[in-house]
Amino acid sequence: MLEKLISIIAEQLHVEETEIKPETDFKADLSADSLDLFELVMALEEEYNVEIPNEDLEQLTTVNAVVDYLKKKGIEA
Amino acid sequence: MKTEICSLLGIEYPIFQGGMAWVAEHSLASAVSNAGGLGILAAANAPVEVVREEIRKTRELTDKPFGVNIMLLSPYAQEIARLVIEENVPVVTTGAGNPGPYMEDWKAAGIKVIPVVASVALAKRMERAGADAVIAEGCESGGHIGENTTMVLVPQIVDAVSVPVIAAGGIGDGRGFAAAMMLGAKGVQMGTRFLVAKECVIHENYKQQVLKAKDIDSAVTGRTTGHPVRTLRNRMTRTYQQMEKEGKSFEELESLTIGSLRKAVVEGDVVNGSMMAGQIAGMVKKEQTCREMIEEIMQEAEALLGNR
Repeated sequence: MLEKLISIIAEQLHVEETEIKPETDFKADLSADSLDLFELVMALEEEYNVEIPNEDLEQLTTVNAVVDYLKKKGIEA
Repeated sequence: MKTEICSLLGIEYPIFQGGMAWVAEHSLASAVSNAGGLGILAAANAPVEVVREEIRKTRELTDKPFGVNIMLLSPYAQEIARLVIEENVPVVTTGAGNPGPYMEDWKAAGIKVIPVVASVALAKRMERAGADAVIAEGCESGGHIGENTTMVLVPQIVDAVSVPVIAAGGIGDGRGFAAAMMLGAKGVQMGTRFLVAKECVIHENYKQQVLKAKDIDSAVTGRTTGHPVRTLRNRMTRTYQQMEKEGKSFEELESLTIGSLRKAVVEGDVVNGSMMAGQIAGMVKKEQTCREMIEEIMQEAEALLGNR
């Protein structure tokens, strides 16, 4: 299942899937800026059919953080 | 000419004056509002008491609607977010971040919320969070900029959201206003032209540099640090760009720009100061009152648009 998440991140942030590990930090490791993160969140919402409110964006810093966040929403990434 | 943004905000003309840090204070904002546009105070990094004072002074000078621009990276952003509710500020524009956490409280207080956005995804999210309109700002603007131009950004955001879109970046006269309408915008926001307004309190030296600027006198520093800023070219921008080429550290680059906007605005240091201005500075040639500017722009635009 993690493969799907990794492929979304790779596509949205224009990086290779091999660069993405569970502990990868979007900003620090993949040089994502705030606009990139908005693109990523929009893609996650679409793929997992979930609404991610703006207040929650700050939590979504790493791949693991996204997995945990989705899990809390009852979604297995 | 009226658009839906005029009825939404209770203003006569769909022209906003950008919330320029250190520049957009009560004298300029009240003059723009009195002339029928939307004057906007810049909260920038100012402490809450300073902004409160600015709001009150603006109210003494105008009974028309005005706005406050909240720079969300400000250390005081949270306090300012409460202040605009306490002071019954009618309109809030936001920059440099995600106003999500404050949106509900502002809406509950009846404030019209209009975030500045630089991408389609951000515009959609702001609409979903309850924004009353969005300002689509292209990289022709002065100050902190994104990557897309106004020509490219505005129609894509117009297609993506159903709230009114205000075009910003590179607009300085009636032709620019009319072009923005053609792209689907319901209003424009201008900063650079208002820099040389008679009511604008920036140092005379800075004004003269804007008036003298040619088409190619605009420079962007900070692309390498991920925080690009557009200003007029001077010794500071040349040194900065040279240091960027040499791969100097973020801290070294930062030391060049700390306090540099204040240097330009307050001290009139046009050599080392950061004279934030948009690319349109090359076309800004007349010092006028805000009323003269707004009326001239509207007349030009109406002639071009045939009073649509």
